[in-house]
Amino acid sequence: MNNLLEVQDIHTFIGQFHILEGVTVGAPEGGIVALLGRNGAGKTTTLKSILGLTPPSQGRVVFDGQEIQGRASYDIASLGIGYVPEHRAIFRDLSVGENLKIAERRRGDLERKEELIFGLFPDLKRLIKLPGTSLSGGQQQMLAVARALVPDNRLLLIDEPSEGLAPVIIESMMEAIRQLSGDSTILLVEQNFIVASRLAERYVIIEEGRSVKAGLMADLVDDHETIQRYLGAA
Amino acid sequence: MIDVLRKNRVQLITLIALGLFFLFASQGMSSKDWVVTMLRGLAVGAITFLVASGFSIILGLMDVLNLAHGALFMVGAYLGWSVYVRPDTFMDLLTPLALVGAGFALSPLWDYWLTQLSLRPALPRTWPWVGLALSLALLGFTLARAPMAAWNPEAYAESPIVWTQAFEQGKLAAMIQPATFDGIPPWAGLAGMIAGGLLLAISLAGFRRARRGEGTLAPPSWGRPLAIFVLLLIAGVGLYLVNDPLTAFLLGLNTTWLFLIAALVATLAGAGLGALMEMTLIRPLYERAIYQIMLTFGLAFIITEMVRSTWGRSGFTMPKPSLFAGTGEGCPATSLGGWLQNHCAIIMVEIGGETARIRTYNEIFVTLVGLVVLIGVWLLLQRTRLGMIIRAGVQDGEMVEALGINVRRVFTLVFALGVGLAALGGVIAAPATGLSISMGASVLLAALIALAIGGLTSYPGAAAGAMLVGLIQQFIIKYGSIGIQLPFMAEPFKPSPTVAPATTVLLMVVILLIMPQGLFGRKE
Repeated sequence: MNNLLEVQDIHTFIGQFHILEGVTVGAPEGGIVALLGRNGAGKTTTLKSILGLTPPSQGRVVFDGQEIQGRASYDIASLGIGYVPEHRAIFRDLSVGENLKIAERRRGDLERKEELIFGLFPDLKRLIKLPGTSLSGGQQQMLAVARALVPDNRLLLIDEPSEGLAPVIIESMMEAIRQLSGDSTILLVEQNFIVASRLAERYVIIEEGRSVKAGLMADLVDDHETIQRYLGAA
Repeated sequence: MIDVLRKNRVQLITLIALGLFFLFASQGMSSKDWVVTMLRGLAVGAITFLVASGFSIILGLMDVLNLAHGALFMVGAYLGWSVYVRPDTFMDLLTPLALVGAGFALSPLWDYWLTQLSLRPALPRTWPWVGLALSLALLGFTLARAPMAAWNPEAYAESPIVWTQAFEQGKLAAMIQPATFDGIPPWAGLAGMIAGGLLLAISLAGFRRARRGEGTLAPPSWGRPLAIFVLLLIAGVGLYLVNDPLTAFLLGLNTTWLFLIAALVATLAGAGLGALMEMTLIRPLYERAIYQIMLTFGLAFIITEMVRSTWGRSGFTMPKPSLFAGTGEGCPATSLGGWLQNHCAIIMVEIGGETARIRTYNEIFVTLVGLVVLIGVWLLLQRTRLGMIIRAGVQDGEMVEALGINVRRVFTLVFALGVGLAALGGVIAAPATGLSISMGASVLLAALIALAIGGLTSYPGAAAGAMLVGLIQQFIIKYGSIGIQLPFMAEPFKPSPTVAPATTVLLMVVILLIMPQGLFGRKE
């Protein structure tokens, strides 16, 4: 078992609600794994549980050989996990540059990564002084991904990168994510099956808080029955 | 053009409202009165701002409504008075603080060693209580006999009022006794404090050990705790040895320097108190907002009662530092140069054919301190990494944490900063307004109104709101004495000074009706 990330049968409560009732996800080093499933199935909660934002009450999360469940979120993130949340969570009172700067874990992180970041998202370079709020949806999404690239992260948790974006921008976002998967492992939550199927090599389907099916994306694409049953679209 | 107007409409409305306000305010008021009232309003605004800014940053970052903020403002004032008027008491406090604190410097080591020990199951729960009782008895015994110059609020001849008079008349040095232990040799007293502190720290670590269980901690680094321990020991014993000469030195200082020291000590003590409060009382309750409000509300009462029993129920004054107290030759000054030369308490300025009396401390110094803090904290927020984390955390603490930043540690720092600012406000206000048990409650009320006006968690909002509250109060008070000609009344209307606070509430109501989120607040 040499997966970089190994989530084993985790259960998570939010308040009194039992949101995850046994999710198992494995992500090998490098490459993209897509979490699929309907709205409210527990995909976002799975990402948050890995990071400890909604700590699992049961089960194990192993990252790079260490058990990380139960540790503080900042501690887990510092191990090299980047998070791109749904709705981007850009800091309004910070400029674009500061939104990147705040993600530094060591002095000079941003300078070292500038070339990579502005190579992927040339738009950000000319927006660097603007406040975080003045960006369009697509630019905010770029900034959110760029922010996760500032420190040396080995795992990126990306939630709904295509949500609410125009088709042209989705294309360039996909291109960026594909490039990133060379250097780091990506766990992707994506509602848009077409996007997910073109990006990911592996998939895990989550249904009502349980991981019900996992495998290679290439096999899923032709399995219309599974797609129809769990994702309700094709 | 229209786009620019729409984007900046809040600022525009504020400007127009302020313009109307000043136009109205200057009705029937001579320009001399207007200038003096403006300055007074700004000074009151500055004090309000020192409380409001800390309150608002704490509320914004950690959603804690710190209702004890006013009480801590008051503590700052009383602590400042104590260092300023009674440097001997201050010196006497330092040795026990350093020596008892030394034991706590080693806490990380105790925590580790205790979790390494194997103990029989019953033992971990019982021995900390024994240790706690022993250490408290030992500390009680030694501290009761340690040198502790103090006042006695119950007896008039020893009350803070009399000590303040002695300070003003320069008779203080003659009234101060040398610091000696009472009935025990000094070495025994000092050793008792060290041993008591060590035992107390070990017992408290024992309680944590009982919760954690065996072998749960990684070995801590040795160097720092040990270095702090040794430094505190040296500082504690050294300060005891030089207690009398150092007290004499402080008494001989120019009161301006002494005031600076008092302000610094009160601010740092306030910051320390804030950090301690966050770590011990607030932190366990982050998930329970209602409990937190009740906690800080209760703390305000407890702190007020502690101040009352220590310094007495009746108010007293704090003499102004010498730089702002001159009344002799060349005073009142007629220009800033004259003040710099003679350190006058009052400057007379010719405005519109009349002479305005401007108090250098109350009106000028207080406003300047407010301005310096306004800029200083703004730079901290805008130009430092800590400030960046605070601004980001106000919006979304979870995301900041997800970036790998320990937000809880930032919480402690921010609480210390906020309470430190309030304590500074107290010590700066004390020479202008005097000290009283109610000073905390009234400044907290003014600060809350200022924040409601400006926008609860907005820093510029805190500044604008505090300024408005101060100005309106002072203008109403001024009109109370000179009267204002209203169009529908034959006689000039003289509002009673007691309606000043009510007027600020009225302004708050009007602004909240137009802009429910306050002038600079953000719609949620």
